[in-house]
Amino acid sequence: MKTIIEEKNGVVIVSVQGELDTDTSAQFQRDIEPLMERKDTKVEMDLSKLDYMSSKALRILVAFQQAVTRNGGSFSITKVTDTVQEVFDMTGLSASFLR
Amino acid sequence: MKKRISESPRLLIILLLALYGLLTTGVTLWVLHDSLEHSYRLNYEDLEDDLKTIAPYLELRMNQGDKDCFAYLELVSSVQHEEREYSYVVRDKEGEVIAPSFAAGRTLKMKKVKQLDKTGTCWLADVWGDRCFIIIHPFPTRPLELIGVYDYDYIFGDREETAKDFIMVLVFLFLLLLAVSWFWIIPVVERVLERKRLAENELNEARDLQQKAVTTVFPKNSFFDSHAVLRPAREVGGDIYRFGMQDGKFQYVIGDVSDKGTTAALLMFTISSFIHSRTRGEVPVCELMKELNCLICDNSEYEMLCTLFLGHIDAETLKMEYCNAGHTRTLVNGDFLDQDSQQLAGLDRDYPYHTQTVQLHHGDRVLLYTDGVTEARGADRSFFGEKRLQEWMNGLDPAISSEAACQSLLDTLAAFRGNALQNDDIAIIYIKIV
Repeated sequence: MKTIIEEKNGVVIVSVQGELDTDTSAQFQRDIEPLMERKDTKVEMDLSKLDYMSSKALRILVAFQQAVTRNGGSFSITKVTDTVQEVFDMTGLSASFLR
Repeated sequence: MKKRISESPRLLIILLLALYGLLTTGVTLWVLHDSLEHSYRLNYEDLEDDLKTIAPYLELRMNQGDKDCFAYLELVSSVQHEEREYSYVVRDKEGEVIAPSFAAGRTLKMKKVKQLDKTGTCWLADVWGDRCFIIIHPFPTRPLELIGVYDYDYIFGDREETAKDFIMVLVFLFLLLLAVSWFWIIPVVERVLERKRLAENELNEARDLQQKAVTTVFPKNSFFDSHAVLRPAREVGGDIYRFGMQDGKFQYVIGDVSDKGTTAALLMFTISSFIHSRTRGEVPVCELMKELNCLICDNSEYEMLCTLFLGHIDAETLKMEYCNAGHTRTLVNGDFLDQDSQQLAGLDRDYPYHTQTVQLHHGDRVLLYTDGVTEARGADRSFFGEKRLQEWMNGLDPAISSEAACQSLLDTLAAFRGNALQNDDIAIIYIKIV
């Protein structure tokens, strides 16, 4: 699992690659923690290279989304793999994540 | 005892160090003994060469520092095997007597230290106040024995010194190790053990909680034959199920809390207790889901989400009502149920969950499960997946009992995993409509 965080034209792009399972999601949580504190941040998630996502990772993602919007920012997931799309569909999160 | 030692690092360290001490001392003594043995042997072989030349004169060669002299000895008494007493006269190279003779009544007392072979022996004696190493070989045709005398310190002094130094180093190392382990390693190990013990306790309690939260008595009656299994992975997970007959209906719920550990188990237990208290009476399925969703949202300090699939099957009409909150797709006779994706619980307090219905028939088989089944991983990290699950159910003999069906799925998953570890909790409910 690898998290790449870049800032382009005022947008923070978070790309996650590999697998977000129970073990790696803890690392992912540490990676994005600084972003959860920032005010008025526009976050775009690029999950086009994410092959697997556990339910724990899903919870972290939801918490991330909530933190960003609570701090006045915006959160969206721009690219996903079919596997992750399936997870979002199954858990009914597509509507809130993929706008 | 084994348990006590493993729990007391101090005792363990002392035992290990004692073992180390014994081992190193043993090795040192063995090395020393081996080198002494070697020396005896060498000197004895030297003596055998000398035997040919010195023997006719029955003279005894003595290497006394810079003195090169000969001793003439005569056995005066003998104590069997252990001690001997000789009278002697010592002459220099020219034959001049340089030590008192028989007349002076001086004797040489020797102590046996080594049997070299059947006849040859090695002795220790004080010659002129110096410790000497003496080799005796009986001379076959004469009444006297031939003796080689060697200065003990000359032969063994260095070795003894080296051995003493070596033992000193060993003792120093031993004390150093003892001090380091006593004041540094042991406290660290003790802290780690204590943490491990606490974590294990917590884990066991959480596992206990998890097992208590799920149904253990499975309805088997003229309408339904049901069975369920919960196989926690190495960590305590948040898989939960609860089902039973209530008011002529087979009520069920299965869910997966999105985390592991005690907190997940606690939330699971809360959900389980809630369902237990709420399934009595006529609560519409989607309302139950909404209430559960609120319960999880209200317990937001857990920061957890939960997939849930709940509902009931009417024993008379065989109509199955269900409400899905982000849970895995239910299988009926090997086909996936038409299941609307509604948001998983714990996220949005006002989410408008709705109920769906399906008409079941006698002989139908329903499989509810958590993602630990479809996301079980093989040795090559591939997932078991929905397709394999479907194949398994299609290949299953419909006549077998629900218990046998659960076991069959566990066996199939175990075979798929091979040597890989179970990575997530597995919960299965298998319901047969009689």
